[in-house]
Amino acid sequence: MSNKLSSSLPTDREVVLGILNNSEEALNKLYVGYFPMVLQFILNNNGDEEDAKDVYQEAIIVLYNKIKSGDFELSSKLKTYIYSVCRRIWLKKLSKESKKAINVTDFEDIEAVETDMEAHEEKDKQFEQMQSALQLLGEPCKTIIQDFYINNMSMQDISEKFGYTNTDNAKTQKYKCLQRLKKLFFQA
Amino acid sequence: MRNELELETIIEDYLNGKLSEKEAQAFELLRANDPAIDHKVVTHQFFLESMKAYGNTLTLKERMNAAHDTIDVKALSDQFRPHPSYIVNLWRNNRAALAVAASFILLAMVSVYSIQYNTKQNGSYEVMSRELVKIKNSQNKLIRNINNSKIDKAPVTPAKFGGTGFALTPNGYLCTNLHVINGADSVYVQNAKGDSYKAKVVYQDPQYDLAILKIVDNNFSTLSTLPYKLNKNAIGMGEDVYTLGFPKDDAVLGEGYVSSKTGHAGDTTAYQVSIPVNPGNSGGPLLDNQGNVIGVISAKEFQVDGAAFAVKSKYIMEALSAIPQDSLGKKVSHLKRSPLQGLTRTKQLELIQDYVFMIKVYN
Repeated sequence: MSNKLSSSLPTDREVVLGILNNSEEALNKLYVGYFPMVLQFILNNNGDEEDAKDVYQEAIIVLYNKIKSGDFELSSKLKTYIYSVCRRIWLKKLSKESKKAINVTDFEDIEAVETDMEAHEEKDKQFEQMQSALQLLGEPCKTIIQDFYINNMSMQDISEKFGYTNTDNAKTQKYKCLQRLKKLFFQA
Repeated sequence: MRNELELETIIEDYLNGKLSEKEAQAFELLRANDPAIDHKVVTHQFFLESMKAYGNTLTLKERMNAAHDTIDVKALSDQFRPHPSYIVNLWRNNRAALAVAASFILLAMVSVYSIQYNTKQNGSYEVMSRELVKIKNSQNKLIRNINNSKIDKAPVTPAKFGGTGFALTPNGYLCTNLHVINGADSVYVQNAKGDSYKAKVVYQDPQYDLAILKIVDNNFSTLSTLPYKLNKNAIGMGEDVYTLGFPKDDAVLGEGYVSSKTGHAGDTTAYQVSIPVNPGNSGGPLLDNQGNVIGVISAKEFQVDGAAFAVKSKYIMEALSAIPQDSLGKKVSHLKRSPLQGLTRTKQLELIQDYVFMIKVYN
């Protein structure tokens, strides 16, 4: 069993710069490069491919937010950081399921990631709140809000896309949707 | 509601920095005077940030899913999945530990083997004095005594221990091993003709296992000049040597060669000789072809064939020097050249055998 990662791994510096520049290519390299390591870890600790995907993506989000927030220092290797975060996430999932202490088989060195994980859990909570609020909002409000706030479409485009007679009507509709969404989001 | 929509738009533009400088100043004034508006701004800001984070994460997830689709997960899984067999898993998980353990075992085996090899000749040390408990021996002696019709002072009871000794001076100084005569009440020596003489121990050297005896019997007549001399120099490996001893009641010749310059466990005071020796050979002279005494047979390796040990002749000289020079008379080492040199082995033995004695110990 070769647990050596492929030689096409991007350098740590390359990844950090790529993420700061929003480079899709850097993300792809990062994602493809370290996935086998996490897959190996999860498969050997009572998980399946889907678990590996979920855990890994969550870890990448943690890394992403850390780099974006600007306080990422290359004190340790990126590989160690990703592995440690994945390990921490997976341990938490396992303990949630079985409610008892679990031993995992390790494949790499680990480092302490507790503070990062706490920050991440806070953000994750917000993400889930927003997701469920949008779900409850229903269509077409959800799409209008997403188009405006996430896809940065102008009210003009939105009005045309949804077939409103004029932009003002669309704006009123968006306002109503937004009020409902805010209510749902802050209530949760 | 119209107003609220306007307000919301203004707040959003304000937060996004789309207001002109003048408008922004006016709005900030309004915000400062109206806590309700201020709260709305704070709330909306938090909401917008959450929305932005949500959007970013969503985009990231989409990109990751796209990347994920490029990976052949199934192939990787097959590679990493724990093997159904317990043994294979054990091997995979503990490969490093197993490798360490294996090298350790290998190392241990090699060292054990080499230790065994090195200590092949590590049998216990067995001194070559003989226990004379056979009644037959004494009967023989008796018969000899009758035939010789000599008055012999030797006790009729059989000797307890026996060994060999050889003359160092014509006036009756003999050399033997200390362990032969150790703890003796009385010591008698018997020559090749069967004549017994009383002897006393005049010097003991526990360090080199040597003892010097002096024949103190009135019947003892001085011997003629010794046919051999003590060799002062160290002798080389492979030198042919022989010894004359009394493992039985008659003198027995043992021939061999020097097999090592050191004795038991690297003892530098002795030679190792490949020579057949038996109990009773202890104290016998070890001679080379030229008739030089090069050592005293002292012991053999227990359970090891052909490994006997002989104390080097150098230490006999040291022992001799402890005895008053005038009482020694003519010293063995004073000979310039051994009279045995050039003679055949048979001739040599003929000459030597009168100077080699059986030592009988009573206690």
